Amino acid sequence: MIEVVDPGRYTSIQDRGRPGFERFGIPPGGAVDWFAASVANHLVGNEPDAALIEATTSGPTLRFQSEATIAVTGGHCPDAGFPSWRAHRVDAGFALDLGRVSPGLRSYIAVRGGIEVPLVLGSRSLCAIGAFGGGVGRPLQKGDRLAIGATVSSPAVSEQWPESHRLPIRGPWEVHVVPGPHPDAFDPSAFQRLSATACLVTPALDRMGMRLDTPGLRLDATEILTTPMTAGAIQVTPSGGLIALLADHPTTGGYPVIASVITADLPLLGQARPGDTVRFRDVGLAEAARLWRRLSGWLDLSA
Amino acid sequence: MWRVAVAGDRALLVTLGETIDPSLLGLVLALDRALSDQRPAGLVSSVPAYASLLCRYDPAITDVTRLEDVIRQFEGRLDAAIPAGLVTEVPTQYDGPDLEAVAHKTNLTPADVIDAHASREYLVYCIGFAPGFTYCGTLPDELVVPRLASPRVRVPTGSVAIAGRQTGIYALASPGGWNLIGRTDLRLFEAGATPPVRFKPGDRIRFVPNR
Repeated sequence: MIEVVDPGRYTSIQDRGRPGFERFGIPPGGAVDWFAASVANHLVGNEPDAALIEATTSGPTLRFQSEATIAVTGGHCPDAGFPSWRAHRVDAGFALDLGRVSPGLRSYIAVRGGIEVPLVLGSRSLCAIGAFGGGVGRPLQKGDRLAIGATVSSPAVSEQWPESHRLPIRGPWEVHVVPGPHPDAFDPSAFQRLSATACLVTPALDRMGMRLDTPGLRLDATEILTTPMTAGAIQVTPSGGLIALLADHPTTGGYPVIASVITADLPLLGQARPGDTVRFRDVGLAEAARLWRRLSGWLDLSA
Repeated sequence: MWRVAVAGDRALLVTLGETIDPSLLGLVLALDRALSDQRPAGLVSSVPAYASLLCRYDPAITDVTRLEDVIRQFEGRLDAAIPAGLVTEVPTQYDGPDLEAVAHKTNLTPADVIDAHASREYLVYCIGFAPGFTYCGTLPDELVVPRLASPRVRVPTGSVAIAGRQTGIYALASPGGWNLIGRTDLRLFEAGATPPVRFKPGDRIRFVPNR
């Protein structure tokens, strides 16, 4: 059992999400920085679909009531007093106080065996807007008690995860995209002008998406008929600002999408902090596939 | 001509038109059915909405060229007719916080707004935005009003709302910018049910005022 002594700013149970239910209005969900979450599970020897804890900005304080093997990855946690990106054995009674997350925005705590909460529509992830999943249908609160499961596949890894196989954790960010799917909603030079702009991350961000300002750039977009949306879609709002959609995104939307962040770079968006700058660069589908294979190769290599 | 566009590195967006039109929805649903019958390699799932269909694929199994070829083979060969189904009644308490304001904007009495809204059958065009949110159309001309200038932080579960030419039902409490004219006790979303939603695109509904 793990007791939530302090939930931190916004802490929830996540796994690889529940893609495939978008036609019912249900977002795919899952860890926003899917790469850091995958590494955390790998380090403690969990199955890839084990549920873990996602902390945002300021992490939780957790008390382990029995001994456990845990790993922390993702955003840096300078006050945790606990080396990240490696598995640790902790004793019964150990309290993990994750503290602030910076640089980076989201950190992951994996526990060997996974967090045991019921599967809802194929996933243990919290769907906050639907108030289901994640065990309690909401972010964690003080006093919640989390059971540890048995979704292990291999022994815990004894070495630290190499720095050479991690993603950048601080801005300025360069994020790879493929233009579209609504090129007709913009003038032909719009994407080129966007990619020449250092976009600014605003404080308006959550698991659904993040607003970015485009200093010095005014993009005009024609409205579109509501269409399905994807994680990574960069919507242009009537005011000319951007909304980049993340894991819990609304499944449909009426703002046109100028470009879409590739899967391999979604973790970067998930770690960008308010005040950071982001540049979007077109890489094309072949390069997107290569960058995906690079990350999945890192995860397989050490399996 | 359908537009097939890249939507990130794992999906194609097929756009069949740009208007709220039963025959475009019919084509979207027919394409969705045709693809789910054919099960082309690498197609993972699809999401219909109004006049477009998002097709998610696994790039390890297929690519955009192959998938677009599969999609294009249906262009011009689908029946746009939506299979006739039962009309589901949605019992509605017309006591929404925006009913008076809508009446004022449309130069109608609240009773006229209710009569106009409940006077016709609606087609479900999309389940989207949030779990179970049901987009229907189209409203009678006299009920067309814009969205609220600033959205509400929390719209209650079951709210019946209007905006532009659309009417919708908030299946769950969520933020929202539509004009709230009533509410229903009909449950539209249940995570544990199969399927988890009450309605799907192509269904027909009628709002019935509670007496």
